[in-house]
Amino acid sequence: MKSYFDIAGDGGSRVLDQVAAQRRRIEGSLAGVRHLVAVGSGKGGVGKSTLSLGLARAFATSGLSVAIFDADLNGPSQAQLAGIGIAPPVPGPEGLVPPRDAHGVGIVSLGSFLPAGNSLEFESVSQGDTQVWRASREFAASGELIASVLWGDLDLLLVDLPPGSERTFQWAEFLGREAALVLVTLPSDLSRGVVARTAAALGRTSNRVLGYVENMSGYCCPGCGEVRPLFERGEGAPLELPCLGSVPFEPGLGRAVDGPASRAIRATAERVLSALEGSA
Amino acid sequence: MKFLCVPCDRPMKLLSTSGPEAGSMSLVYSCPGCGYEMAMLTNPLETQVVASLGVAIGPEATATAGESKCPFSAMARGDADAAGLAGATGFPWTADAQQRLETIPAFVRPMAKTGIEKFARDRGYPTVDDAVLDEARQFFGM
Repeated sequence: MKSYFDIAGDGGSRVLDQVAAQRRRIEGSLAGVRHLVAVGSGKGGVGKSTLSLGLARAFATSGLSVAIFDADLNGPSQAQLAGIGIAPPVPGPEGLVPPRDAHGVGIVSLGSFLPAGNSLEFESVSQGDTQVWRASREFAASGELIASVLWGDLDLLLVDLPPGSERTFQWAEFLGREAALVLVTLPSDLSRGVVARTAAALGRTSNRVLGYVENMSGYCCPGCGEVRPLFERGEGAPLELPCLGSVPFEPGLGRAVDGPASRAIRATAERVLSALEGSA
Repeated sequence: MKFLCVPCDRPMKLLSTSGPEAGSMSLVYSCPGCGYEMAMLTNPLETQVVASLGVAIGPEATATAGESKCPFSAMARGDADAAGLAGATGFPWTADAQQRLETIPAFVRPMAKTGIEKFARDRGYPTVDDAVLDEARQFFGM
């Protein structure tokens, strides 16, 4: 009797072929992207989105073409952070052109399509079991969105990942080996522990982890400009990854032109680029 | 998933699909050798798991999600808009404009449709056509 692998196709729907075709559409859409960088953490609330936007703007300021894909479908923040507001996705003749922020950074975020307070819902023929299929649907939806965007020629596409170690791992696999990762942590032992766990999980993928960024490494006083500790620095084991930068918390970071945080982000962007270009 | 006709040792072919009804799909397979037919009846969870992959299900379902014209496939994906079952807002779209709308993923299409129709209505345009879409793109900075 024939086995599964003796039979070509599946007799009809060619589901695997369709999944492969989706993959090719994503790859085709990203063909003009020189560096694909996923910014993740494992830990929530560490400032991944703010840092992603800061890095993107630093790259753009140095003359590079940059865009951000906000991969957090349920908690999108890039549109609001970047100040592009709510606007319907209006397709051009060939597809969707990302709106740009004031710094020229292309932003694709469901937050610009979906008013705050609305959650993304997918129709379901089953009930009460979203844990079984929701992740697959979200990745399929993310893939459809990435494939439908005319990214064009980009020096960097930053993917702002949702929180969660498992999610970070899944996204690394989904984006493929070409995607490099930057992990974000707070100085606390708790955060570093979660990031260490995420880094260990990523060791099972073929993705390159460029290093980590210590965010909110201190509090930058807007009055005197001094940077003081914000979190109690832990004494746990150091992260076995290159440190790409330490960025202090600075109130009104997005508005500050040349504060300590902006300078730290620019220095971090340079190290990220060096790591990507292989000179670090 | 594949089905094998054991007496013939030949793979069965997907003949037809129907549903989903109350979340269940019926997929009829037949053996190209002996003509024996059997049906696979899915439970709602199985239907949803396949649908969540964003693929189309059917005898000739070679298109990928977002391109599919098979009404059944669209329904299985919960994409009522592609099935022509939704979007009946009464606001006319030209065929070219509609085609452009279909280049974006089905799950963001309702957001696009609503916003673009509001843009057109606010400016007194009777139809959404390519020119309206271009103007809307410029207006929204895309």
